[in-house]
Amino acid sequence: MERAGHLPGLSADAVDWRTLTFRRGAETLDVAVPVLTEPQVAELATRVRTNARTYLRRRTVAEIAATIDRAVARLLDRDDPWRRKAERLLPLVTGYDAEMVRLGLTGYLKTFRGPELRKFIAEDFANPAVLDDFQPMPKGGFARAFGPELLLHVWAGNVPGLPLWSLISGLLVKAGTVGKLPSAEPLFAGWFAQILGEIDPELADCIAIVWWKGGDEAAERAWLGRADTVVAYGGNDALEAIRARVPITARFLPYGHKISFGMVARSALDAGKAGAVARQAAYDVARYDQQGCYSPQTFFVERAGRVSPREFAGYLAHELDALGSKFPRRPLSMSEAGSVASWRNAEETKGFADPSRALLGDPAGSWAVAYTDAADGLSPCGLNRTVTVVAVDRLADAVPGLAPYRAFLQTVGIAAAPEELFALAGALGAVGVTRLCALGRMTAPEAGWHHDGRFNLLDLVTMTEIEGSAERAADTFAPYTD
Amino acid sequence: MTEARLVEELLAFIAAGEADEEAFNRMALAVFAHQFETNAPYRRFATQRARTLRTVKSWRDVPAVPISAFKDLTLSGRPPEECPHVFMTSGTTKGVRGKSHHPTLAVYDRSMTVNFRRRFMGEHDRLRMGILFPTEQAMPNSSLAHYLALAKSEFGTAESRYFVSDAGLDVDGAIAELSRAEATGEPYALLGASFSVVHLMDALAERGRSFALPAGSRILDTGGFKGQSREMAAEEFYSRLSATFGVPRRLCINMYGMTELSTQFYDDGNEACPSVKSGPHWIRSRVINPLTGQEVPRGSVGVLVHHDLAHFNCASAILTEDAGVEVDGGFQLLGRADGADAKGCSMAVEDFLKAARAS
Repeated sequence: MERAGHLPGLSADAVDWRTLTFRRGAETLDVAVPVLTEPQVAELATRVRTNARTYLRRRTVAEIAATIDRAVARLLDRDDPWRRKAERLLPLVTGYDAEMVRLGLTGYLKTFRGPELRKFIAEDFANPAVLDDFQPMPKGGFARAFGPELLLHVWAGNVPGLPLWSLISGLLVKAGTVGKLPSAEPLFAGWFAQILGEIDPELADCIAIVWWKGGDEAAERAWLGRADTVVAYGGNDALEAIRARVPITARFLPYGHKISFGMVARSALDAGKAGAVARQAAYDVARYDQQGCYSPQTFFVERAGRVSPREFAGYLAHELDALGSKFPRRPLSMSEAGSVASWRNAEETKGFADPSRALLGDPAGSWAVAYTDAADGLSPCGLNRTVTVVAVDRLADAVPGLAPYRAFLQTVGIAAAPEELFALAGALGAVGVTRLCALGRMTAPEAGWHHDGRFNLLDLVTMTEIEGSAERAADTFAPYTD
Repeated sequence: MTEARLVEELLAFIAAGEADEEAFNRMALAVFAHQFETNAPYRRFATQRARTLRTVKSWRDVPAVPISAFKDLTLSGRPPEECPHVFMTSGTTKGVRGKSHHPTLAVYDRSMTVNFRRRFMGEHDRLRMGILFPTEQAMPNSSLAHYLALAKSEFGTAESRYFVSDAGLDVDGAIAELSRAEATGEPYALLGASFSVVHLMDALAERGRSFALPAGSRILDTGGFKGQSREMAAEEFYSRLSATFGVPRRLCINMYGMTELSTQFYDDGNEACPSVKSGPHWIRSRVINPLTGQEVPRGSVGVLVHHDLAHFNCASAILTEDAGVEVDGGFQLLGRADGADAKGCSMAVEDFLKAARAS
């Protein structure tokens, strides 16, 4: 039995625990998640708020970053007991291949080491000292950035470790932090808080990691009503329900589900390069079985290269097959298998009616590539290693068809020459795409990326300004005034 | 075998009252042979899966067409223009509707009536009926409209009537009929789409009305909610149904059918949910893993495949998108088998379509 969460000041005996059971083959893991009463919620909220005010706010951002860096270093150390535990239990909980989790964790955690944290801060604040003290402003006067006293994160998803983005962003702006664990992966965030506690117990007292059942209105309301700022991840319906319960005086930062895709220019389709490009594209598809918002669901591939779009689809299929033996897909639930099957079936039958379409897939259904010559545009696939290759004369031709999905577009993995890259970037940005990266990097955004085009830290803070007038007036009251 | 001969044999098969494995197999192979020979897209589909007249030896080998294929392919042995009856799905995704062509409704109608008498009518020959669905004239391509019209004409008394018209749901008419049944003690049957039943229950609740229908009264609902009314869990739906109309839950019967079939499944009431559904001897079901096509071990959840010999013109074997589990006496239906538990933050088809429709 693993105990999830982090509840500073509350004794475990005083709390009700519910058991979530995870199975993978013959192995099972029971995870106890806390179920708090309303008075416990109130107590915890007050404690986190007070601790953040008295402790966190007095630390410099550099000191906080140093503590995070030490915690991340422990998770990067393969001999550390926490890291060993993560490598053992996360595959069991999420179902992902153990090796994929191991490599994924390392790559992901690297984005939160000390130097990377400085990138996070520098991306959003020209002068990071503004988080510690009042700094002179170009327009005159002084300003200081304050994070919320109580920042509530509603996490979702089962990409291991995902909660770290927002948790760390909150700490860097010195916010008292309450995170709601996702039921699909309820362990990692609590572990991170505990590791922080081993390094700096007082800092860990500024964090609570809690759980309630998704959609439990009473529990949700209890927390939502107490937060200054709410960051929430999930589908739009879930987010809408949360927004309706966030007090109008609180700031709400929703991160909805997104769709991402890839683009391959003819310049990347010569015989020497196409194989490597397909390998990178396949890696983006296979990694975390397309559960991430940055996972590609369609590839637009330019015609008239040395390798045709149809051949590229074949390359991609080959690479997905190879990756399937290296990193097997996690076992699917019946409903996920149903989604994949109905997508496959639909693509296959379209092929009967239209010879310009084809479906490549293995008989066991562990991956599939649909190819179409028709002007099809972006379309969601069945997830879990299914993808569509759409042939286009020019990549730019695909852009107008994206416009209806502006609110849902996120990452584009792109293989194109510099001039094409910048021309496309302009067009894609204009229809709502917020991130372009190399193929093979779609699921690993760099440190300090602007998630969904927003500011990780800047969106969390409020500025307190001392206007020039106050400064000048103050002078008149100074003891040294003549 | 000519189509006329096949129809004749099917009618006799239905009339036989039962079929063992061998008899079912023989009929299934005849139906498959007919479809393989007359239905070019189906032949392409079967051949692609290496299922031909030579390799298909048992009804289990007959390749099942995914239900979505009815949207993209014209699956009809007879050219569509020679089929006077076309049933279409309600078709919410992308506005494309799945079609089932019927050169004759003789088999469909026989399948429906034999089964309906046994599973819904109980000891009654005829019942006074109220129908919560539009008429066949209003919805000529709806298999459900045809089904309910058939129920009314074959098993309803002359006073049976519809409560749904262009003007919408006739709540006053329903209240008058239900009150009358209550007063006379004559058993009453209420039949319709599940969502219409919800609308009626909501309207009655608004007026604070409920009924205690006479003993022997029964309710048939079908088709789920399809976004046309709020979703209700089965448990809540049947307990409210029973409370609103005073019909015991064992006489609240759910019919499970689809446009892509010619035979319906029934449960024996909904005292416990999910109920056990079963069909007559001319339809058999399997529970498979949708990705591999293999049958799952008995008792495990999979996707339902139905082999409906009465659906002779299009494809008698269909792969549904419904999750189910095989149990004693039939199967339990567990809802749709796709898109329910996406875990990550990657956008799924459903949301995408919603976005596309909104823009």
